[in-house]
Amino acid sequence: MVRKAGIFCLLITCLLFFSSGSYAGEPTNLMKQTIDKVLDILKNKELKKPQKTNARRAAIRNVVGERFDFEEMAKRSLALHWKKRTAEERQEFVPLFSDLIERAYIKKIESYTDEKVVYSGEKTENMYAVVDTKILTKRNVEIPIQYRLLKESNRWKVYDVIVEGVSLINNYRNQFNKIIREKSYEELVKRLKKKQEEDLLEKK
Amino acid sequence: MKIDKELAVGFFLLIGILALAYLSVKLGRLELMGGRSYSLYAEFEKAGGIKSGAVVEIAGVQIGKVKNISLDNYQALVDMSIDNYVKIQEDAIASIKTKGLIGEKYIQITPGGSDRILPAGGKMRETESAVDIEELISKYAFGKV
Repeated sequence: MVRKAGIFCLLITCLLFFSSGSYAGEPTNLMKQTIDKVLDILKNKELKKPQKTNARRAAIRNVVGERFDFEEMAKRSLALHWKKRTAEERQEFVPLFSDLIERAYIKKIESYTDEKVVYSGEKTENMYAVVDTKILTKRNVEIPIQYRLLKESNRWKVYDVIVEGVSLINNYRNQFNKIIREKSYEELVKRLKKKQEEDLLEKK
Repeated sequence: MKIDKELAVGFFLLIGILALAYLSVKLGRLELMGGRSYSLYAEFEKAGGIKSGAVVEIAGVQIGKVKNISLDNYQALVDMSIDNYVKIQEDAIASIKTKGLIGEKYIQITPGGSDRILPAGGKMRETESAVDIEELISKYAFGKV
């Protein structure tokens, strides 16, 4: 009798464990933490002042950097051409790439005004995970954003973001590939650096 | 002599049947042995417009075709047969594209840079579903209730 009750309890705990594990697991919680942290920074009235823009951006960069694996993203964006790069070239490229992404998205993030983020699903498979989120804008438009995460040395990190079904990595992969095929890798680095400088000038 | 003539007719008939069989396999694009291609799976949120027989391309070159599409856990599971000589990396991205504005749908693979090659029967994890232009327009033009 006692044994039966024991087995029953075990079954119940198993069920509970699996039912909670299939939804809102570790990757979703981690994404939620990161997004909440960014939202907190954006909501912070002190940091909203124009003269604090740089401090605010640095804070956002810090939080995002913890969760996003820019080296993996750069590697996936260069794809076939990553293998041909030397260690020095790779070291040079990763910050250029993360800068490019930052410049492309920081303005969009900063234009945030009370949109809601909904976590709509998660799928984990071995070392890969997909977290589905939706942003609800004020006009009630839903923008689906999917984060793809990879577990490396026991840490979940984002390696791709899919907005409205379009992959960020694939976008850059196609563009980089085109530039490298038509011109050269050096030309790509030159263009990235030029863009970086232009934006720096713009800021001043 | 008589037997020889009959033998010759039978022989020609046999050749004719073989030729017919060859032709139907070739024209019907049947794969009897499946020796020249291997199978890869890809999961799409929406497989809109892809039919079995649709072309799979890398850089505009056909490297395989769609064998079968099925529903798996409310997602589309596309079974592709890829030519043996093409190796697909683990981080390659499969996207559903349209030829021209209203052309047929096909699957485009952008090769990745990973050292890990997908084995036969493997699953492509990185996929982009077909962009539904109508849905996008209605969403941003009218908003969602």
